[in-house]
Amino acid sequence: MLKYLFAKEEDIPPGTAAIFFGFSSIVWFVLGTGLGSFNAAKLAFPDFVTGIELISFGHMRQVHVLAVILGWISMAFAMTMMYITPALGNTKLWSEKLGVWNCFLWNIGLAFGLFLLWNGVSSGREYSDMPWFIDLVVIFGVLFPLGINVWMTIKNRRTQGIYTTNWFFGAATFMVIVVFLVGNMPEFFNLTGLTEAYLTWWFAHNVLGLWITPVAAAISYYVVPKVTGNPLYSHRIGHLHFWSVVVFYSTPAAHHLMSAPLPEWLKSFASVEGVLILVPAIAFVSNLLLTMHGKWRMFVENVEIKYTITGVLLAIPLNMQGGFQQTRAINWYVHGTGWIVAHAHLALLGFSTFLEAAAVYYGLQVLLRRKVYSLSLSNFHFWMLLIGFSTYWISMTIAGLIQGAGKIYEVPYIDVVIAEHPYMIARWVGGTMVFIGNIVWMYNMWMTARAGTPIPAGRLPHELAYER
Amino acid sequence: MAWKFDNPLVSMADDQQNAAARAVWEGESLGGITEDNNRLPVPVVGLLILTIVTSFLVTFPLWGQRPTAALYENYVAEMDSPQAQALPDDVKRMQYIVDTVRAKNPQFANGVSKQALLDRHPLSMDDLRMIQGQMVELQRQGARMEEFTVIGNRLVLANFEGNWRADGTRERVQPWWDKGYTIDVFYIIAFCISVIVVVKRLPPYTWQPKH
Repeated sequence: MLKYLFAKEEDIPPGTAAIFFGFSSIVWFVLGTGLGSFNAAKLAFPDFVTGIELISFGHMRQVHVLAVILGWISMAFAMTMMYITPALGNTKLWSEKLGVWNCFLWNIGLAFGLFLLWNGVSSGREYSDMPWFIDLVVIFGVLFPLGINVWMTIKNRRTQGIYTTNWFFGAATFMVIVVFLVGNMPEFFNLTGLTEAYLTWWFAHNVLGLWITPVAAAISYYVVPKVTGNPLYSHRIGHLHFWSVVVFYSTPAAHHLMSAPLPEWLKSFASVEGVLILVPAIAFVSNLLLTMHGKWRMFVENVEIKYTITGVLLAIPLNMQGGFQQTRAINWYVHGTGWIVAHAHLALLGFSTFLEAAAVYYGLQVLLRRKVYSLSLSNFHFWMLLIGFSTYWISMTIAGLIQGAGKIYEVPYIDVVIAEHPYMIARWVGGTMVFIGNIVWMYNMWMTARAGTPIPAGRLPHELAYER
Repeated sequence: MAWKFDNPLVSMADDQQNAAARAVWEGESLGGITEDNNRLPVPVVGLLILTIVTSFLVTFPLWGQRPTAALYENYVAEMDSPQAQALPDDVKRMQYIVDTVRAKNPQFANGVSKQALLDRHPLSMDDLRMIQGQMVELQRQGARMEEFTVIGNRLVLANFEGNWRADGTRERVQPWWDKGYTIDVFYIIAFCISVIVVVKRLPPYTWQPKH
């Protein structure tokens, strides 16, 4: 990477930035899930590694969360934007050099931010835990350069139309900057009380709703038609999806605070909007599943489609939960329990991760011009992710229902802890399976770069998957 | 940017614009990806309408409310009656209070809303003892008991702030409809109109591109 930081633009091969982002994202995924597995072990076995403050749960939880969100998920997004945006415009990335610098600063900034978090330098606000100066680095050193590259690539496209994926990429890179600027105002301007609480959850909700969800969906709008060869089922449903994300996902932040003394009308407004996140979800899922028409065998045979369609299918329970768990009647029961932890993992480790993994698999093969080193290891990775995630999700959902019952019926806290114990062990097992799967993935992609079978010019990796 | 309003549910673009859009649609390669022009399947339209209706029905503040002090006024009034005091233990006393309140208050006995709310928030004699003093004091002050929420051992003024009354106080009872829903209605109507306009500027869905 270092040699390209100071190279001339024309000396940097196309796709360089995307490759760096792709491998960086995998490394952060391994680190993030490793931390998650370690943290889960501390919940399952309370006597596991005690007495050292720096590796106490309170120091490490937010490092796991932000390593996964800003390292794995967001870098995978950057990777996909760096190769899909130009591909859809029949052009080159606006600036490979900016992309390489973007990747370099992103890794440095994130590593420094997580180091500070690990040492207890934190805003103390969930999801926006980073201190204010790291937030500024994220906004101006990470997100803004990414946005510039995406917007300028779209502007310089050689097509008249803009494909659905690029609507989402262009809009999401703009919206996430607004989310970081506004959502971190409590730190920039020392806002406290309900304002701080509301903006904290406005940030957290919109990082998911205006960044992770739309970009993950945008990726599948590319991967499914590209790999199956089918036309996207409906351009006009794409419009419905895009505008309903912008309208209905940006407004329900108050539904995270249904028990707080916010104005009741705001909660009512947000709660209705919260159910209406099902509108983009229905549009998205129906459009992608209908695009699969006549190619369902690829759900079994093709690795990228297997990952993508699994992610699309997981959007169904994700949005059913998300839409209804925030209503007054249900939130009363599940708020502050493991149910919500399960839901967050369904969003980030289920729905979104499967879509990004597909794009990273596909993108690295295309950019390196090499077939994936081992299809068997790719399938092993898939099943470790799916079984590990499912074990985690189901066990934490059950644990959450137990906690909810304990909360409502005022069961002594220690009794709830004892009742949850088996599910905490299952959580650790599931998370560890994901971690092990990711180590295998990192090895597989490293070997793809070094020893993968070259792909002849004019062919695509999925066409050759079963050829020797 | 000509607009056509003679058949807005088919297309709002004129024939020339539709012809230009079709030419681009069929002639252009977006990185090797093509798109069809299918409409939203009718069952999915039904699902979206059901979602919008459901979003209001499941979020009314009637669901998931905390119990109000008014629910327990009659219980507290019976606590110190000689008949209740004569019973040997708290379980029997509580049963006596519930039965008596139901018998004296037809709206409770009929299993209508108040009874349903009480069944959802069962109490013991100890719970009643914890709130008894506060309730008597509020009654002495002439407070509106339906505006107080029972939270553990405390009676607190509900955080809902409704319309102003003539005497300068505010209503503290949560209505089934508030201005949040009114905003939602306008928001959804604006969204639906905007999206319909966007998709109706495209060529009609009866046309499919040849790839």
